Amino acid sequence: MSQFITKRILYGLLVLAGVITIVFLLFNVLPGDPARMLMGQRADEESLRVIQKDLGLDQTLSTQFVMYLNDLSPISVHSTEEEHYLYLDENKYSYSTLFSFGDNNVLVVKTPYLRRSYQTKRQVSEILLDYLPETAVLATAAILFASFFGVLFGIITSLMKDTWVDKSLLFLSVLGMSIPSFYSAIIISWLIGFALPQATGINLFNMTGSLFEYDDLGNGEILKLSNLVLPAFTLGIRPISAILQLTRSSMLDVMSQDYIRTARAKGLSKMVVVIKHALKNALNPVVTAVSGMFASLLAGALFVEMIFAWKGLGWVLYDALTKYDLPIVMGGVLLTSTIFVIVNIVVDIIYGILDPRVRVS
Amino acid sequence: MENRTLLEIKNLVTEFRSDGEVTKAVNNVSFTLNKGETIGIVGESGSGKSVTSLSAMRLIPNPPGEITGGEILFHGKDGVIDLVKATEKQMRSLRGNEIAMIFQEPMTSLNPVYTCGDQVAEAIMLHQKVNKKEAKKITIELFKKVELPRPDVMFDTYPHQISGGQKQRVMIAMAMSCNPSILIADEPTTALDVTVQKTILELMMQLQQEQDMGIMFITHDLGVIAELADKVVVMYKGKIVEQGTVMDIFTNPQHPYTKGLLACRPPLNRRLHWLPTVSDFMSVDDKGEMKEKNKSVEEVTENLVISPEETAKKHEKIYAQEPILEIKNLKTYFPISKGIFGRAKEYVKAVNDVSFKVYPGETLGLVGESGCGKTTLGRTILKLVEPTAGNIIFEGKDITNLSVKEMREYRKEMQIIFQDPYSSLNPRITIGEAIMEPMRVHNVFNSDAERKERVMELLKRVDLPEHHFYRYPHEFSGGQRQRICIARSLALNPKFIICDESVSALDVSVQAQVLNLLNELKEEFKFTYIFISHDLSVVKFMSDKMIVMQEGVVKEMGYADEIYNNPKTDYTKSLINAIPKGEIDDIKKSLDKKVARRSTTV
Repeated sequence: MSQFITKRILYGLLVLAGVITIVFLLFNVLPGDPARMLMGQRADEESLRVIQKDLGLDQTLSTQFVMYLNDLSPISVHSTEEEHYLYLDENKYSYSTLFSFGDNNVLVVKTPYLRRSYQTKRQVSEILLDYLPETAVLATAAILFASFFGVLFGIITSLMKDTWVDKSLLFLSVLGMSIPSFYSAIIISWLIGFALPQATGINLFNMTGSLFEYDDLGNGEILKLSNLVLPAFTLGIRPISAILQLTRSSMLDVMSQDYIRTARAKGLSKMVVVIKHALKNALNPVVTAVSGMFASLLAGALFVEMIFAWKGLGWVLYDALTKYDLPIVMGGVLLTSTIFVIVNIVVDIIYGILDPRVRVS
Repeated sequence: MENRTLLEIKNLVTEFRSDGEVTKAVNNVSFTLNKGETIGIVGESGSGKSVTSLSAMRLIPNPPGEITGGEILFHGKDGVIDLVKATEKQMRSLRGNEIAMIFQEPMTSLNPVYTCGDQVAEAIMLHQKVNKKEAKKITIELFKKVELPRPDVMFDTYPHQISGGQKQRVMIAMAMSCNPSILIADEPTTALDVTVQKTILELMMQLQQEQDMGIMFITHDLGVIAELADKVVVMYKGKIVEQGTVMDIFTNPQHPYTKGLLACRPPLNRRLHWLPTVSDFMSVDDKGEMKEKNKSVEEVTENLVISPEETAKKHEKIYAQEPILEIKNLKTYFPISKGIFGRAKEYVKAVNDVSFKVYPGETLGLVGESGCGKTTLGRTILKLVEPTAGNIIFEGKDITNLSVKEMREYRKEMQIIFQDPYSSLNPRITIGEAIMEPMRVHNVFNSDAERKERVMELLKRVDLPEHHFYRYPHEFSGGQRQRICIARSLALNPKFIICDESVSALDVSVQAQVLNLLNELKEEFKFTYIFISHDLSVVKFMSDKMIVMQEGVVKEMGYADEIYNNPKTDYTKSLINAIPKGEIDDIKKSLDKKVARRSTTV
């Protein structure tokens, strides 16, 4: 098992290396000079060169790539010479030195440095980490909601195949999959948060776009879960529809298998057969789908976050893209792909738990 | 004397509904099963034998199926219950407890995500109301009883980690777990090798004596139950056409269908031109009315015997030629464990240093148990699997190291017919297209119109109507599908065909038809076959020479009749021994044994 996980992690690192290379090249062939964008309106040639030097833009592309990799790597080589392009700048890195070698070289362990925003000059990692938890909470809530009800309805429809319950739930799920999220978000927020706030207890105008609400008197944050309901529900509509259909077809397939007949021949009740013998077999494709959805929700559900003014990753990336704030965009892409890789490794482990046949000896 | 009746089925009718059409899968079936008795229910697929047994368990999928008439009286400890009218709750307490079942496919009948032990213990906990620890103890005892190796390890083993025979033993353990009074065995050995089949049958007999169980043994092969059953029920199209004691059925079959079933097994003591089939004894007209031809089994087979002299003459001619295929020291290894950089550390030697020659017009038989490497050998010859070492020489040219592109030329000449006609046809392609496809790939003929004409010819040749061109595989039975597969392999006019267990998935009656077809085609098109099977009787019927394989190595090679009459290795002997022969003497012996046993126990 440990060998299997090591292999998966190595493979994941390889994927990340590929992503880093592509991201770096893509953003370097984009037109526009970041140094000029960083400049104030009245800057002169001299300050332009200073900024270019600071960003390493005076170096060749390959050197820049080495710098970028060195910045990202948790273990990196640096120079203590101020003039050197790999200068160990305390303003950039939070590090602890492992050992020095050569004349001025040190090997350090550090948190990956994602550079600074062109706009705000804040560290990108700080900005992303500020917004990630909000998105994580939203995505987790949405996917939990969708998985629970999706699987539940999936089982129900498969057991009641061709009845009106099955047909109406299937119809709803097709509807849910085909309505774009920006549309359903608007409809739902209008219906529940605006037209019927008394009945639903959720008022659109009181929503802060965050899990917390600030006390009017300034006494800090108050947790307000009801803020989460609408965006999580909206975000869950598509996954729930897909999960329902997947569970249904997978269950129908499994229920026709010989081992289900064996279980029935043992004298087990239908309930036990369905839950214990069928569901565990039927869940594999569902897990695949859920993991993919979860990872992409974490990457930011742009429309839903915009409409509910939810301060999450999607929001930040959208903002950065419109302002050409490349470090944030690059950082965002890297963060997203890292999440994808991690989710995939976790899913591989879940497969093994569900199905002994994919377990590796 | 005590009442030994266990189960009385009276005028049972089970119907299936689809698209407004009602078919009577079981039509007015009656028979009685007594304690300690084995009833063999025999018939081809679709004869209603499985539906009968599932009706007794009340496991007919509903919809579309429904029991619409009759009674199934179960004589249990607390009196007689009509299972047709029993509530679902009553049925649940009987299933697995009083009436247990073993299914045909051990591969798919166990839940892959639970351990073997858990699945058996589950039934024990359910019916015997014991705790988990106790159930585990009982399960391990049962595993010992069904002779599974290392029972305590087996408890925590998952189904995919053990062989088919072992899985069937687990199934038997599960069925026996609550000491049922009735065991329904639905083709329990059909998916297994003959050698494994023999051991499983022996085990079932032994358990039956110990527990005085009634067994309902469902099979398509009369031979299998010859030494097992007391009574035989022959079913055809949902009805019982004949029932009687096993001796009566074998010595004096009345119904032409029973005669057909008896005659269509490849005989071991002589060589036949072709195998008699059910149609030699009866014909069915368009209205479904049956017409008897009033011939006995002996009358039909006598005319078909080939004398040894004829055979010798034929062989002389065949082996005087240059070989069409020569295999020299062929080895095919598969890596089982890989190092961190993907280099193989250990190998399975699936084919280990095999050499032989095949002559034009010959049928070379390849026989052995599953896992002996016969299938890998067949695929290596066609280079569907890359050989590790050795040479494959086809018509004087070494094709071992040809590239995929160069090999294409030879693919036309060499074809293969696979084992499973159900999965070797793409369900989304009409059978006409499927047969046409190889011709397109190899640019045979210039237009699809010409190719289509050829497909029509081929369909006719394998006895399928031309309008089947536009149908999809699911509309056909197993035997028909295998005909389609044969037509597909004929499409390119090959010289050399490998039949890889091509009839193993078929009923004996259908098997005989397909074997006859293969032989006819061989005569007509001058084919050369390599015929691979685990069933020595089939291989012996088909082949001139025969190779016996075990663990990748050739154990014995020579004329088929000679090997059968005079086996040199113990392995070959065990293969021959395991064939269910259905000979009268053997039946008598086993009946005598049963009588002797009963008189000692009563």
